[in-house]
Amino acid sequence: MFIYFTRRLLYLIPMLLGISFLIYLGLELTPGDILSYLLPPEAIADMKPEELAAMREALGLNDPFIIRYIYWLGGILQGDFGYSLASGVPISQLVLERVPATLELSVAALLFSTFLGVILGSISALRRGSLLDNSLTIFGMIGVSIPEFIFGLSALVIFALQLEWLPVGKRLMPGYDSYWDHMPHLVMPAMVLGLIMTAGVMRYTRSSMLDSLNKEFIRTARSKGIPEWRINFIHGLRVALIPVVVLIGFRLPMLIGGTVIIEQVFQWPGIGNLFVNAVRGQNYPLVMMISFLSVTAVLFASFLIDLLTALLDPRIKLE
Amino acid sequence: MKIRFLLPLAVALCFSAQLLAMPKNSNQLSDPRVRQAIAYAIDMDTIQETLLEGKAIVADSHIPNGPFKKPGLPKYSYDPDKARQLLKEANWDSSQELDMVYYYSDQLTVDLMTAIQAYLSDVGVKMNFRKLEGDVGAQLWTAPKDPQNGPSAVKWDLAYGAHGPLALQEYFSRYKTGEMSISPADAKLDGMIDVLTSTADIDAQKKIFFEMEDYIQNELFTLPLYYQQAFIYESNKLNRNGQIYGNPQYNYDWDIAKWTVEPDASGKMVMNTNTGPTEFFDHPWFNPGLFITNKVLHDRLITCDGGLAPTRPKMAKYYNLSKDAKTLIFELRDGLQWHDGSVITAEEIEWNIELALKVPNIMPIFKTTFSYLEGAKAFMDGSASNISGIAVSGNKITLSFAQVDPNVLLTFSQWAPLPRKYLEDVDPAKFQQHPFWQNPIGSGPYKVKEVKMNDYLVMVPFENYHEGVARIDEIVAYPSNDNDANLVKNALARKLDYGFTKNVADVKSLEEMDHMRVYPADIPYTRMIWFNKYAKN
Repeated sequence: MFIYFTRRLLYLIPMLLGISFLIYLGLELTPGDILSYLLPPEAIADMKPEELAAMREALGLNDPFIIRYIYWLGGILQGDFGYSLASGVPISQLVLERVPATLELSVAALLFSTFLGVILGSISALRRGSLLDNSLTIFGMIGVSIPEFIFGLSALVIFALQLEWLPVGKRLMPGYDSYWDHMPHLVMPAMVLGLIMTAGVMRYTRSSMLDSLNKEFIRTARSKGIPEWRINFIHGLRVALIPVVVLIGFRLPMLIGGTVIIEQVFQWPGIGNLFVNAVRGQNYPLVMMISFLSVTAVLFASFLIDLLTALLDPRIKLE
Repeated sequence: MKIRFLLPLAVALCFSAQLLAMPKNSNQLSDPRVRQAIAYAIDMDTIQETLLEGKAIVADSHIPNGPFKKPGLPKYSYDPDKARQLLKEANWDSSQELDMVYYYSDQLTVDLMTAIQAYLSDVGVKMNFRKLEGDVGAQLWTAPKDPQNGPSAVKWDLAYGAHGPLALQEYFSRYKTGEMSISPADAKLDGMIDVLTSTADIDAQKKIFFEMEDYIQNELFTLPLYYQQAFIYESNKLNRNGQIYGNPQYNYDWDIAKWTVEPDASGKMVMNTNTGPTEFFDHPWFNPGLFITNKVLHDRLITCDGGLAPTRPKMAKYYNLSKDAKTLIFELRDGLQWHDGSVITAEEIEWNIELALKVPNIMPIFKTTFSYLEGAKAFMDGSASNISGIAVSGNKITLSFAQVDPNVLLTFSQWAPLPRKYLEDVDPAKFQQHPFWQNPIGSGPYKVKEVKMNDYLVMVPFENYHEGVARIDEIVAYPSNDNDANLVKNALARKLDYGFTKNVADVKSLEEMDHMRVYPADIPYTRMIWFNKYAKN
């Protein structure tokens, strides 16, 4: 088992290298550069080529693509994440400043979607074929098909602008002293993101629950006269939750880079927002670092889930 | 006798008129009749009413309406029949497909391009359009090696863009031979540009402006489409207390220190605005007034009226420009301070000018002014350690210019000195990337109290400001660029008290809000189509 996991861990290295190279290459092939972002087009149009060349040289943009990639990779290996081309601020600082906002939003949305998805999925499975099941299926389909920004903007119009129950967006405001002060700002983005994710969890729980309720051990439990609620929620749901937990485990690292649209709609200053600005600005060290961190998080999550599944399920044999 | 003189004169006139209307080379766009036909083919009045929703002024010159615009310039109002006739006279090759480029990312530009494409198609001119990506400057403006005969060093035929100069001379100075990618050498134009950029005399400037506008509009070097307006918006909580409105993209004598806002429940006056920093504070040498931070955190040596005409000294106790416009003297006010309490010295102003000359991304008009100083060239090429044209004595700074810069006062009404002690180690090519721009120290009426990058910025009155302490207790600026994507929703949520925009759709929404006021401001910002008149390879 130790050898298996060491090998799995070592596989991550070429995967990370390959992915980082592809991201770098993709960015290189995109037209434009950081100057097109730092300076308005009219200004670039007005500047002399030698002035632009001096700025490019100072920002290290004149080196060939592969040299820049090697420098970047060398820096990472030495723990130097580089600097934002736009501001000169260390990337580690920028990322660390924004990770709490994204984690806060992601975890809140994940908890909300898990709680609601598991309950609704279980109810749907237990009432299979009923009006309630069909209604929840339709709700799930709607949740999956409505684009996040429409959902988000609709929530903004209703709850922030019409009813004025919640703030229109942003995360921190001047005068907030404690962590809890900004909770009202979290409610709407977390619920919108959570509701979108609920549909998936619900559908997954439903099918897993149906599968689990048809198993032998459930019939055995029934024959022993155990109460139906106990069979469903203690025996059935517990087993049904294993694949759901795997799904949720995968979602958290994906959310780190996947809250882009919600962060834009709600002016939430997280990693997604930083990433969008970095892509727009061709701020390649920052784009690379955020992508690299997201990919690393997903790969490690996959590794940890494999590890956990193997430890929990004795039927899995590792070679 | 009379006939003997008049006949050759008439022949010569006809011949020269004929010559004027001839193509200058194999490119059909070098023929003024083709350019005029394109102008006649586009119905700008309809575009202004529909696409631009009435929020722009149809242009008939580079220069917007005002004292420097010549009355009665030729207009090219929509006349498709005349366009067809001119194309016929010019033997327009209808199989030719014109390549139009632009650099904006907004939908309005695409809609405008589509409309122009349809108008041109109606008179028999095929045109395709595309957005320029990458090094826009090089693709637009690389001048040919031979400015007389070309061939063109750029690939496009027509380019749509804007010019919003700080000084009106900049509208035309870029047409100087060898500067631009679009016009073969023109001795007449070069001569006029030389006069325009070397006189500080207002009457002389006006005369030459009129001549140039007439020449350029008759020849239609470039087709001006419309003057874009800026729209200042304010909530009904804000009171300027009689202070003036002006060009919001730059600095003028708006005296924000006297503004007030309806106090909140705690009795505090808080003004909410946008254009706060997302990752860094934009430095004020490039965009001196586009962002609220550059307007209120930094002070200027002199100030100007809403139309940007210099009016009175500000950081300076007085200033004096010599009659020949070659010597400018400032004397700083006594006891001027930076926000950290340290004293602003005349030596620092000298150091600032020297640094500004080395920073690549500064406003062109600033660079022009500083490069006209005596000894600036030697300083730039490294043969001198200082600019010999700057002399400092106590609080007095004397600037001696090698050549006249008509915009010297305008420069000093917009350019902000910065504290030397924080920027002494700066690499000019990475000026914007210096840590100073994470929390800048300035000299303006407000100073930074708290900055949570990408969350908010709080600015409070600077207690030692030389014109008195500002009345609004806090200015809270939320992060955005100058085209704030969250403008409408933040305004609806009453989280915006002041700002400006050029986005027509946002203006329409703001106008419908009872608690917001919108004021259009005429600014020098002309959208135009440039014609590439060089022969192509």
